[in-house]
Amino acid sequence: MNTMSESKAKSTYMKFGTDNPNAIEVRDLVKIYRGRKVIEEVKAVDGISFSVNKGEIFGLLGPNGAGKTTTINILVGLLDQTEGEAFVGGYNVKKNLAKIKELIGVCPQQASVYQYLNARENIELFGKLHLVEKEVINERMERFLDLLGLSKAANRAAKKYSGGMLRQLNLIVALISDPPILFLDEPTVGMDARVRRATWDFINSLKQTNKTVILTTHYIEEAEALCDRVAIIDFGKLVALGTPKELIEKHNAKDLEEVFLNITGRRIMEGF
Amino acid sequence: MKLKRIFAFVKIQLKSVIKVPTALFIILILPVALILIFGFAFGSIYVEDYGWTGQDGYLFEFMVPGFIAISGLFMAIPVALSFSEDREQGMLKRINTTPTTAAEFMVSHIISNMIMALIQVAIIFILTFLMGAMRNITPVGILLSFVIMVIFTLSTIGFGLITATVSKSAKAAGGIVWIFLLPQQLLAANLYPLPPETQIVSMFMPLNYASDSLSLIFFGVDLGNLRIWWDLLILVAFSFVLIIAGILLFKKYGRA
Repeated sequence: MNTMSESKAKSTYMKFGTDNPNAIEVRDLVKIYRGRKVIEEVKAVDGISFSVNKGEIFGLLGPNGAGKTTTINILVGLLDQTEGEAFVGGYNVKKNLAKIKELIGVCPQQASVYQYLNARENIELFGKLHLVEKEVINERMERFLDLLGLSKAANRAAKKYSGGMLRQLNLIVALISDPPILFLDEPTVGMDARVRRATWDFINSLKQTNKTVILTTHYIEEAEALCDRVAIIDFGKLVALGTPKELIEKHNAKDLEEVFLNITGRRIMEGF
Repeated sequence: MKLKRIFAFVKIQLKSVIKVPTALFIILILPVALILIFGFAFGSIYVEDYGWTGQDGYLFEFMVPGFIAISGLFMAIPVALSFSEDREQGMLKRINTTPTTAAEFMVSHIISNMIMALIQVAIIFILTFLMGAMRNITPVGILLSFVIMVIFTLSTIGFGLITATVSKSAKAAGGIVWIFLLPQQLLAANLYPLPPETQIVSMFMPLNYASDSLSLIFFGVDLGNLRIWWDLLILVAFSFVLIIAGILLFKKYGRA
């Protein structure tokens, strides 16, 4: 009897203390998008299980439509899973979403900022939504703007930004609350090579602050440069999991792209 | 509910009036333009036994309450556009990943739109006063007019939210919102005498009760007149139903 109640308690609340190394845990996650007719069902995520250690940068790698964004959206509470369980910071996404929202920062795929506001106003707003003190917001904001080279343009309306600048602002907005867990959904799409490099350096620097980062990308070099471990997803299924080095060695490949090709028979950027 | 979050949203929503040309035009420039154009066009035309009021006065004076009410009605446009744009640009999803609750977000919109409505009415009152078209209204009447407009604004936010719910894009919302606005503007603004048959239709329009009560106040009718309070009561009921319907519909169908 006692074991059953303990097991139930464990499934609804995973301790996010020092004794639990997992920042995120996903068990047999399934997401089915249902249309009006039964034949319109799409299984976007198909029984995925993985865990992300505290303080690691974890990559979800896969082609467009693989199920990366759907997985992230379930973890941040934007979508309900059809089956399975997911825990963020020890909290069940179905039962303790309010607690999870206090722990996470989300950088969505679409650069979502108020276009008529400037960078400082956008960053300040999201800091306040997380109830961060104004002085703290200002200190972090100036540091991040400086690190990403946006200081000079910080008083310009976001609608006048280039695609790359908008993406960088998108990233700063996600970081302003100093969240222990950060979700970055294709953070460098549309950036030119120079800005992408600067953004990689910035994301890499987050390791020193012991943040857990879950990053989706379909850029192989991005995953190799940033991620401690990667999960490769294809057609909603987890097809490989490990450090980039492990996966390359295991599949006797020259890079992750070749690993993906060996496993699935197609290239990650196909059809993109 | 955290006030810090609500005020953070109110601040940026008020900024949008200055920074978004459409909002600036609809909330401030259009009402001022209407007052000035109609004031100069009809300010010197004196009419006797005007419409249902049975009073004598300058034609523009009879129109002012209707213009105030219509200006409030136009608030539905920026509401519909801002919610649709926020959805299109992924802002609603992003806000949904922060600790902000749906109640905090909606309350902030209600507060900011009420503030905008108050500013709008204040500007119209000042202009109208300067043009000499506020001869019969008392200070208490002015205060009551502000209360009426604040309550009426709730119904227009409801119209805005319903529009945003049924519209697939901000562009579509800009067109669809006129389904709610145009009939009210034509049939319930009390700008000019209409055949009694139209009254049956206008009974179902909140603008009718806002413009009717404002007209009574502007014509110097005793503020204890039951018709004013009856209008206000129906307006409260309309506003309550519309804002709740708007919030529930948008929450269920409009956010994705």
